Amino acid sequence: MAREVRCKTVEEPSLVALAKTHAATPSFKNKTASGSHLSNVHLCISSSCFLSGAGQDVGRSCILVSIGGKNIMLDCGMHMGFNDDRRFPDFSYITQQGRLTEFLDCVIISHFHLDHCGALPYMSEMVGYDGPIYMTHPTKAICPILLEDFRKITVDKKGETNFFTSQMIKDCMKKVVPLNLHQTVQVDDELEIKAYYAGHVLGAAMVQIKVGSESVVYTGDYNMTPDRHLGAAWIDKCRPDILISESTYATTIRDSKRCRERDFLKKVHETVERGGKVLIPVFALGRAQELCILLETFWERMNMKAPIYFSTGLTEKANHYYKLFITWTNQKIRKTFVQRNMFEFKHIKAFDRSYADNPGPMVVFATPGMLHAGQSLQIFKKWAGNEKNMIIMPGYCVQGTIGHKILNGQKKLEMENRQTVIEIERCEPGCCHLSLEVKLQVEYMSFSAHADAKGIMQLIRMAEPRNMLLVHGEAKKMEFLKDKIEQEFTINCFMPANGETTTVITNPSVPVDISLNLLKREMALGGPLPDPKKPRTMHGTLIMKDNSLRLVSPEQALKELGLNEHQLRFTCRVQLQDPHSDPDTLSRIYTHLKSVLKGYTIQHLPDGTVMVESIVIKVSSSAEEPNTKVLLLSWSYQDEDLGSFLSTLLKKGLPSGLSSM
Amino acid sequence: MRITESCSDLLSNPLGGNTAAYLLLIKYRRRYRSCLAVDEMGETSSVENEFDDWFIESLKIYNNIHEYQLEHPTRVIEWTSEKTICVAGYSSDKNEILELLLPLKLFTDDNQGLCAERDFKVVHGGFSDGSIHCLKHIPGTRCVVTNDGFNSNLQVWDLGGEDCDVIKRTGVLQLKSASSDKGVKIAPGLTGDPCVLHGSQISDIQLTELTSGKPLYSLGKDIPDLLSSLQFVSGSVFLACACNGDLYVGDTRNPSGLQNNPAGGREGVHWCMGVKTDLSSSDPSSCSVARLSSACQVVVSDLRDLRAPLFQAQLHVQRKTTSDDFMKVTWAPALDNCLAVSGFDGMVRIYDTASWRPELMEFQPLFIHRGHMMSDDQFDTSSAVVTTHVWHPSRPRTVLSAAVDGSVHVWDWVDKATASC
Repeated sequence: MAREVRCKTVEEPSLVALAKTHAATPSFKNKTASGSHLSNVHLCISSSCFLSGAGQDVGRSCILVSIGGKNIMLDCGMHMGFNDDRRFPDFSYITQQGRLTEFLDCVIISHFHLDHCGALPYMSEMVGYDGPIYMTHPTKAICPILLEDFRKITVDKKGETNFFTSQMIKDCMKKVVPLNLHQTVQVDDELEIKAYYAGHVLGAAMVQIKVGSESVVYTGDYNMTPDRHLGAAWIDKCRPDILISESTYATTIRDSKRCRERDFLKKVHETVERGGKVLIPVFALGRAQELCILLETFWERMNMKAPIYFSTGLTEKANHYYKLFITWTNQKIRKTFVQRNMFEFKHIKAFDRSYADNPGPMVVFATPGMLHAGQSLQIFKKWAGNEKNMIIMPGYCVQGTIGHKILNGQKKLEMENRQTVIEIERCEPGCCHLSLEVKLQVEYMSFSAHADAKGIMQLIRMAEPRNMLLVHGEAKKMEFLKDKIEQEFTINCFMPANGETTTVITNPSVPVDISLNLLKREMALGGPLPDPKKPRTMHGTLIMKDNSLRLVSPEQALKELGLNEHQLRFTCRVQLQDPHSDPDTLSRIYTHLKSVLKGYTIQHLPDGTVMVESIVIKVSSSAEEPNTKVLLLSWSYQDEDLGSFLSTLLKKGLPSGLSSM
Repeated sequence: MRITESCSDLLSNPLGGNTAAYLLLIKYRRRYRSCLAVDEMGETSSVENEFDDWFIESLKIYNNIHEYQLEHPTRVIEWTSEKTICVAGYSSDKNEILELLLPLKLFTDDNQGLCAERDFKVVHGGFSDGSIHCLKHIPGTRCVVTNDGFNSNLQVWDLGGEDCDVIKRTGVLQLKSASSDKGVKIAPGLTGDPCVLHGSQISDIQLTELTSGKPLYSLGKDIPDLLSSLQFVSGSVFLACACNGDLYVGDTRNPSGLQNNPAGGREGVHWCMGVKTDLSSSDPSSCSVARLSSACQVVVSDLRDLRAPLFQAQLHVQRKTTSDDFMKVTWAPALDNCLAVSGFDGMVRIYDTASWRPELMEFQPLFIHRGHMMSDDQFDTSSAVVTTHVWHPSRPRTVLSAAVDGSVHVWDWVDKATASC
């Protein structure tokens, strides 16, 4: 009556039993083993986007990502709108005690703008971080120049303390490891990163971070439409678990580059036509080249004869950099570079200081871009008093600079009438001040290249992420964008507030190879052919070896692993009332099974057993109760189905009228 | 034959000989482009030259021009406030309705140079299951009413406020006697409680209260002519233009009264209407009505006598589309006698009607916006068709226009007369 199941090992007991169990049941559908991992994306930005007086968005970027146990800092930006400690990210978010080096596996900088790299020397030298900092070659070359410029304005001019020094910038840059496009860099055994072209400024990159089968892509700032010197952002279908992107421009529809350029040309043209001089303060690299290409292209066609000058040394410097970084420019520049250097201009000549006093119209590109020192400031002072002249500011200016003041509409400036700013600060206050009236026309133009609402969708379409994370935005004002992304791509879209942590559960798919023999055997068993829409269970042995998973037949697994097969037998007792002798009962059983199980091999063996296939049946009884028979059934694991069936059948007893021959 | 056509362009183009010669050049370049494609060296330079030529010309003919590229093309541009417009997709399945904030640069008059902001901002957005063929804002509310062009239902949408950026559908209005599957035309009520005048043909025009969905007025007459345009000219008087060109004047206070003004138009010609209303004057009779036909004729009349044209003109247009769907004629709100025409090809033409006469003559435009044919994207721009245009309510020469490729342009053209003196 009671069914007893007992394990019996036929050969030596060992681990082999493992090889016989079904470790996994992969299906044809998605060859996926269950199991989930956590990827945390922490954000440690403590303030939202800030709108400066000039109307340009200057939030700061600093994102902390935890993936597969690795902690990575993405960008280390400075907030351009604050003058106090709020300007740097609050690194105590990351670790209360202990150095950042112990917590962070690496730092990655997407491009050289200060709102993405401005806090780097502060973090590495003042807070303390000695691990690797990754950035592309152009970023590595340009970033320290910008940091030094900014340090000069802040410390030397405004006299602020508690700021990083020139030496700190140098020491910080020593920790930088350069990245090449599309080159996979192994940070350690498990963590790898890869840079993609972002097209925002020279050297701007998007990065893919990968640990095992999990990955995150951080876009930084990117641009989906090529311009005169840069190409469009590109990424392959890398299907990251999370795509992290800025939301600042995700709700804009950008005016075309062409119209921005048209506006620039129109302003230059108008001023030159009325005999005025145009000053364009620029940073040595990037926008300056773009605008030069533009003027060069149209100067003759616009019927212009006024000279265009580029400030001293700039051309050489720019050419030097662009030769080094030619792979980072757009296709057209790359193509023509061999025959003719795009930056050797026909109309644009080197500037000499004395030219500023020449009569008649002219256009001058001069550094620095924020009018805080140097040639651009000198020329500005000479030309500011004439309303026929014009100054075009093609980019953002830091607080405290002349550039920032005139962009805010200031018409009277207190000037120090000296060559360099540093000297002035050392003078007694008020000893050499000069008031300057700004009569010239001031034009502010933004040429910054950001992807807009359409661009962000294009990028998602390219990369096919499983989750989308938008940073730097006000969540309730981006409900529509979130809905749109979620509906169009059927993925989740997260918009964490600054300082908030988002956790995304990943569901990594684990590919398993199935041996051909096993598949053939499965096919031979019949049933429909594998259908990707219908998962199907199959049996086999999973071997996990050398980072690969294979499903093979048990025999093959034993052979490959050099193991002996263990046999697992079930034994079952069934009590039966049958008033016959033991041999007669066995005969009756034989007859009964013969009639019920047609098509099976059933043998009555001379040693007093009945065999149904491999199942052994014996009869015994005690002397006290000769009519109570105890049937012993024994079957191997492989015949479990038939064994169970037989035990159930015999429990019902034997029909009367069976012959006992 | 083409050359002679172009030569007539050359002679009569009001923009002057150079422009016309340039037009001619474009025509040839377009034709040459396919040949040049074989010759790899010449191909890019030819196409680029064409764009560059227009680029240089644009320096002189526009004060300002902004070009935007929407993800999905729109055939509606509707002002929802002084600074915002609504656009919406018209594809057969899922579409978006977007409320866009115009860039600051378009609103700062002093120190415009200090303002670098020239991008649209998506301030509100929503999803529509159907196509959006018609979209009207109800003045004084945050509501827009739309129709998909295939049935007579109106969708009512709440554009949302400061705290939320989602446009939600809040209701559906139905025509009492839905008689057509051609879609309906909509005219928002101008005074009183928010209400909307709508209909698909003259006979089923009705006025519906927005909040209750209650019909306030419906026309009792059986005139099955399809409706092409509908507009209020005062609190209760409205104008309806039938597709065959007939004009009707109705009054919502008087359901039985409807004044019919047959146009005596030709068979198979489609008409639409543009009305210049002066809401400050209580007398609607000063309204100018311009009717545009698919045969590129414009007939201008006013409410005092709608039967006899005040003046009319034959427009010189080479149609690029056989569809009458996008035909549009509008009066400039802040410029005397000017009207804009689009929907036949990739251009928006501005005409000064001051020189027009009662007898039908051919007139040349005051200005042509060719920007939609000059987009440098991958689209075949020679087949671009303008889907709609609207005037800026207060800036006299600023127009917004959209085309089938998803482009939206905001342009402020230079008036030659004032520029030269």
